[in-house]
Amino acid sequence: MRRRELAAAAVLLAFGLFAVIQARGLRFGTVAAPGPGFFPLCLALALCVVGIGLVVGAWRAAPASGAPAPSLRPRRFAIAATLGSLLVYALVLEWLGFLLATFALLVFFFRVLQHQRWLVAVAGSLATSLVSYLVFKTWLGVNLPGGLLQF
Amino acid sequence: MDVFGGLVYGLGVALVPANLFACFVGVFVGTLIGVLPGIGPVATMSLLLPATYAMSPTASIILMAGVYYGAMYGGSTTSILVNIPGEAASVVTCLDGYQMARQGRAGPALGIAAMGSFIAGTLSVLGIMLLAPPLTKAALRFGPPEIFALLLLGFTMVTYLTAGSKLKAVAMALLGMLLGTIGLDPITASPRFTYGTLTLADGLGLVPIIMGLFGISEVLLNIEKGVEQEVFDTRIKGLLPTREDWKRSAGPIARGSVLGFFLGILPGIGAIIPTFISYALERRLSKHPERFGTGMIEGVAAPEAANNAATGGSMIPLLTLGIAPNVVMAVLLSAFLIHGVQPGPLLIREHPEIFWGVIASMYVGNAMLLVLNLPLIGLWVQLLRVPYGILFPLILMFCVIGVYSESGNVWDIVVMLAFGGLGYLMRKFAFEPAPMVLAFVLGRMAEESIRQSLLMSHGSFDILLTRPLATTFLALALAVMVVPLVLPSVKRALRTVPLEKTEG
Repeated sequence: MRRRELAAAAVLLAFGLFAVIQARGLRFGTVAAPGPGFFPLCLALALCVVGIGLVVGAWRAAPASGAPAPSLRPRRFAIAATLGSLLVYALVLEWLGFLLATFALLVFFFRVLQHQRWLVAVAGSLATSLVSYLVFKTWLGVNLPGGLLQF
Repeated sequence: MDVFGGLVYGLGVALVPANLFACFVGVFVGTLIGVLPGIGPVATMSLLLPATYAMSPTASIILMAGVYYGAMYGGSTTSILVNIPGEAASVVTCLDGYQMARQGRAGPALGIAAMGSFIAGTLSVLGIMLLAPPLTKAALRFGPPEIFALLLLGFTMVTYLTAGSKLKAVAMALLGMLLGTIGLDPITASPRFTYGTLTLADGLGLVPIIMGLFGISEVLLNIEKGVEQEVFDTRIKGLLPTREDWKRSAGPIARGSVLGFFLGILPGIGAIIPTFISYALERRLSKHPERFGTGMIEGVAAPEAANNAATGGSMIPLLTLGIAPNVVMAVLLSAFLIHGVQPGPLLIREHPEIFWGVIASMYVGNAMLLVLNLPLIGLWVQLLRVPYGILFPLILMFCVIGVYSESGNVWDIVVMLAFGGLGYLMRKFAFEPAPMVLAFVLGRMAEESIRQSLLMSHGSFDILLTRPLATTFLALALAVMVVPLVLPSVKRALRTVPLEKTEG
């Protein structure tokens, strides 16, 4: 628990320092006529102060305080696979088009993550991507990329 | 226009078929997502933002508001029947509502929740009608120092009212404001932190951030821990509460409404905290406090009234000041801005059709919900049987469609995923997403107002202390910080708000 709290606080502090360095690259102006860098720098410095506070707080906390931390371990694969597949989806979306990309994504979800039978996964994905394409693009006029299968 | 004339005029607007339809869609979708666990009003409203481009501003605000108060109704249904709050403002309803259902009194519990919500919704619409016009007049005198002080009060309340570490909440608020500075400087329009990319030049979008923090991360958490799906399997009969039920509920509904409405007005409160406070109040007033938690109808009536009334109350700062008091209102604010309408003191004069139309539509929508909900409860229960394995790919797909269609930029999907991962980690490490999102939205306003204040005063911060209204707000902010330290009972009351249960 303590190590994780410490890690989280350290990440925040590091981000605060990074923001300070970045904000110093902007024109600060004067207090009477603040420039673009005024507000970000104030925020970044404040974040550093709070970050230090969190680090100190985590450091001083008793090592085994409170309930055991919920583990990050269970189903870590499912989480990573979900985020990863969505990332790939975003990158190929405009090239493949909404229909193909969404079909592939849903097959992956249903088959690999949910262990549905192939027939169910493919049929379900086909129906879902087709219906959502028709509803969103054709009926509601939402802007979805056609890609390889334009219609 | 006086209040009565305004309401008649507003009803005329709300009853135009297009607006009536928008209201219906809003409350229907709201109830639907209120019932479904794993997707809340915030994510849904951001999802619907792009879909409202083609609508009139009035219709789109009516629809969005409908989703919010519709979700309050829907959330109570699952709390009572399955002991799973469909969304966070219905957590308290589980305590006695589920117990009532187990004793075979699901019907009256659902009935009193719906009617209590209706009564509270109606009272809060009356409250808005009476309070908003005079507040609007007062708000016209606000200058940059007053706005800044008010925002500071809002941030203080948001951070001090979140459960868990205040320091973490402050860190999240600062982080949110920092992220909000990405893009063009509001005063000089020079680019900041854009690193030469076009995606960052407009700043990070609110929709990808919210969909990530509240949509994607919620799905990830549910994938991890699995969603319990045990639907309570008795037939629901007799939705109408008995005369005895009514006698016991009348007081709690009235108190819950008043409490919820006034708490809802305050920045940073939202609809959740009033439910806890009203539940605690009823328990204290009751002759049988020990029986709360065993299926007391008062414990259902009071919080359900409170969350609906708070929904109405939280519209007040948005409509009169243009300030979003909570995350839901922040989404509503961006819906206004998308249509080029600036909510605030001038709204009532420049766009009376929106102001009165939206208020009147809430009245109409509350009536619709009552009619819609009682007969459709069976349908909502069936919905709960949809396995999460089917639901979650659909939610993810909707998130992607929503974010992409808003901007047509695939990088916004990447931003959403980044915030999805961040939100997941934040919940694991007990950081609250709500202060971050609210600060992200209000940060720009805070920056503008403090910089203008300093320009006005030639660099002296005294300007915040020499103007009575600004000073009052600052004093209140200080009080929010100090009072819980001095009065332990206040601190304890605030502690009852559980973690992870901020606006979802």
